Amino acid sequence: MALIQNMKTYLVKVIIENKVNARDPEGETILKDLLIKGGYEQVKAVRTAKLLKMWVEAKNEKDAKEIVSKLCDELRIYNPVAHVCSINIEGE
Amino acid sequence: MVVLNSILVGLTEDEIKEVRKMLGREPNHLELAMIDAEWSEHCSYKSSKPLLKQLPTKGPRVIIGPGYDAGVVDVGDGYVVTLHIESHNHPSAIDPYGGAATGIGGVLRDILCMGTRPIALLDSLRFGNIEESAHSRWLFKHVVRGISDYGNCVGVPTVAGEVEFDNCFERNCLVDVVCLGLGRVENLVLAEAKHPGDAIILVGGSTGRDGIHGVTFASRVLTEKSDKERSAVQIPDPFMKKLIIEATLEAVATGYVRGLKDLGGGGLTCGLSEMADKGGCGIDIELSKVHLREKDLSPTEIMISESQERMLFIIKQGYEKEVCKIFDKYELPYSIIGRVTDSGNLVVKKNGIELANLPVKIVANAPLINRRAVEPDYIKNLKIIEKPTLPSDLSSVLLKLLNCPSIASKSWVYEQYDHEVGIRTVVKPGQGDASVLRLPNGTFLAIKVDGNSKHCYIDPYNGAAGCLSEVCRNLVSVGAEPLAFVDHLQFGDPGNPEVFWTFSESVRGLVDYSKAIGLPCIGGKVSFYNEDKVKNIAIKPSPVVAAIGIIEKQEWITTMNFKRDDDYIVILGETKSEMGGSEYYEYIHGLTGGTVPKIDFVKEKATINVVINAIRKGFVKAVHDISKGGIAVALAEMCISGRIGASINCINIPNNGIRIDEILFSETHSRFILETDSENINKLIELVKNAGITYNIIGKVGGKALRFYNDWELIHIPLLDLEDSYLNSIPKCMGEIL
Repeated sequence: MALIQNMKTYLVKVIIENKVNARDPEGETILKDLLIKGGYEQVKAVRTAKLLKMWVEAKNEKDAKEIVSKLCDELRIYNPVAHVCSINIEGE
Repeated sequence: MVVLNSILVGLTEDEIKEVRKMLGREPNHLELAMIDAEWSEHCSYKSSKPLLKQLPTKGPRVIIGPGYDAGVVDVGDGYVVTLHIESHNHPSAIDPYGGAATGIGGVLRDILCMGTRPIALLDSLRFGNIEESAHSRWLFKHVVRGISDYGNCVGVPTVAGEVEFDNCFERNCLVDVVCLGLGRVENLVLAEAKHPGDAIILVGGSTGRDGIHGVTFASRVLTEKSDKERSAVQIPDPFMKKLIIEATLEAVATGYVRGLKDLGGGGLTCGLSEMADKGGCGIDIELSKVHLREKDLSPTEIMISESQERMLFIIKQGYEKEVCKIFDKYELPYSIIGRVTDSGNLVVKKNGIELANLPVKIVANAPLINRRAVEPDYIKNLKIIEKPTLPSDLSSVLLKLLNCPSIASKSWVYEQYDHEVGIRTVVKPGQGDASVLRLPNGTFLAIKVDGNSKHCYIDPYNGAAGCLSEVCRNLVSVGAEPLAFVDHLQFGDPGNPEVFWTFSESVRGLVDYSKAIGLPCIGGKVSFYNEDKVKNIAIKPSPVVAAIGIIEKQEWITTMNFKRDDDYIVILGETKSEMGGSEYYEYIHGLTGGTVPKIDFVKEKATINVVINAIRKGFVKAVHDISKGGIAVALAEMCISGRIGASINCINIPNNGIRIDEILFSETHSRFILETDSENINKLIELVKNAGITYNIIGKVGGKALRFYNDWELIHIPLLDLEDSYLNSIPKCMGEIL
């Protein structure tokens, strides 16, 4: 029997946002109705996104990222046609 | 597909030759892209127009028929209703949430640009097998969520619909949305540019790269690459739509709006060329005025972009400021992009430099194509099939049918929708065969949408006529007199003669039914290329029809639930062995084929009239039409919604000597079930007899179970078991109930 490897818990952040060329009505509204009307004309654009934090048990960072990447595709956590999904490891 | 001037166009070699001939010169890059968009099947109806012309379009209440963004019907006292149907099949197949939501957005704009307020939505959905396919469940879940989010945010109720499941929709789901509008006859606006000098104003969302080549995309079959066709995805924005609705209606009320058109398929090219063509004028536009999302958009991209939430206004010259004040008030972006001219040409300039100059007659009128139609072999092979053996336990067959997702309660769907916002909805989803809305002049409007691709696959002629028959029966069941319909015809590749034959047969079915019954067609859509080239599956022919009817008095509104113990149950119509495409054959026995129900138009009309009369004379308490699942399912639905049982003597069901399973589950048309009491039973029978309709008293309401018997008991199911099968089926499929 193989030795049980030491598993660690990693924080993996998944960011899901609309594709670059697609509109983001929520971001546009925040910019137009909140920031510019509030006097912050320095802000030129706002894009919103959804952030998922997942604490994942894995052997190493690479495995943790792979698990999350696989589950995002498999369980349709995002739609590759409409969204861009980026996955980052934030350490243990 | 042809590559020309280094762009990919959907035009054929012959069509490009035709363009050169008509223009007398070589079109430039921009001109070719514009013609490509406008001559696409989606915009030009080049394959379908010759057949669609046969549909009757006139009726005593019809004000505007096909050819505009929506049909218009007079409902009395100066009020009009508008009706249109749209689909968003291709976008929903790759992005179910955004695709379905923007589909709603599109159909709302069609109603709005007649100058009427959208007051109700309906949806007609088709998916693969949700019991087995995770992909179909994913599409189903997100399409419903897209419709509900958009409709609920924009404040228009979704009042009715229908859903059908079949393996052929596994990759090509069908998402049809119907919208009903309400307005005043004096405020109607047409999509016409008639007065040179008038201003062209583009209002709403900025123009971007989303949806470029959308119509060419829709006029193509889905391939593996489709998942990567990124620019075809659009982002819904219901809050912007709400502002556009209010601003548009306020602008219309000023009287200065002389033309209105929504920008959908084909973008600016389509909107401008069609308005100029209809009004017999020309239009000059200046591209530098168009408000853009991305600065580097090329002229071609601007002219064919299908960015959402945009409307084109034609404003009486000299009154631009009055109207623009309204857009300012709603903080809607707008730009005056050009003027109506008397040139008859669509001229596109950028910073004063002419980039395109095309006669609108050429752009807006694609050469029609006479497609070849050949009866497919499969049709002949499906006509005669061996009957299945008679099941010994008919109770379990009925329970299984009630559990079939195509038959089971769709409450999982409509409970996600706000179906009451606007407080017009009188008969709500699940209460009657159609939904009923209150109109401001004290009358009521019934509305329903129907389709049946299983019937249409085996016999497109009788199947399509049957869809119209079902929608009329549904309207009549709630007490309405049918007024008009719109159709949406969804098929595979029209270049395939076998597909085109099914299309032409379906149209023939609609033409024959509507002429016989006297029901005008006031609009519609055609969606071809619903085909999955990877798996080589075309969808089953899927015409969908939506119809409206009027109920002049509140007391005529009728629901389908059984009302009281000891009431009589009466059936109208004869049951025949017409099992082809029935849920009993398809779902219980896995059989496709046989004889599809045929309509006797004379009997159909007489039966419809007798039901309307019986309702108006106050002889009946509940009415339900017999359709999917036959008599047994229709009675079960009346018991479930009334929470009361019934006992039925099958010996009394009029039929032409057929098997008991056929009596119970056949989907023969022109049949209704009525509930009446001892006070009215004799009057009802006299009325039906005088009309020469086949009828019989088949049983009584009462008890806590649904029973069918002849010489012995055939079916006995407690109400609770009926409810469990019927109400919990779809939530179970979706994993929400274990």
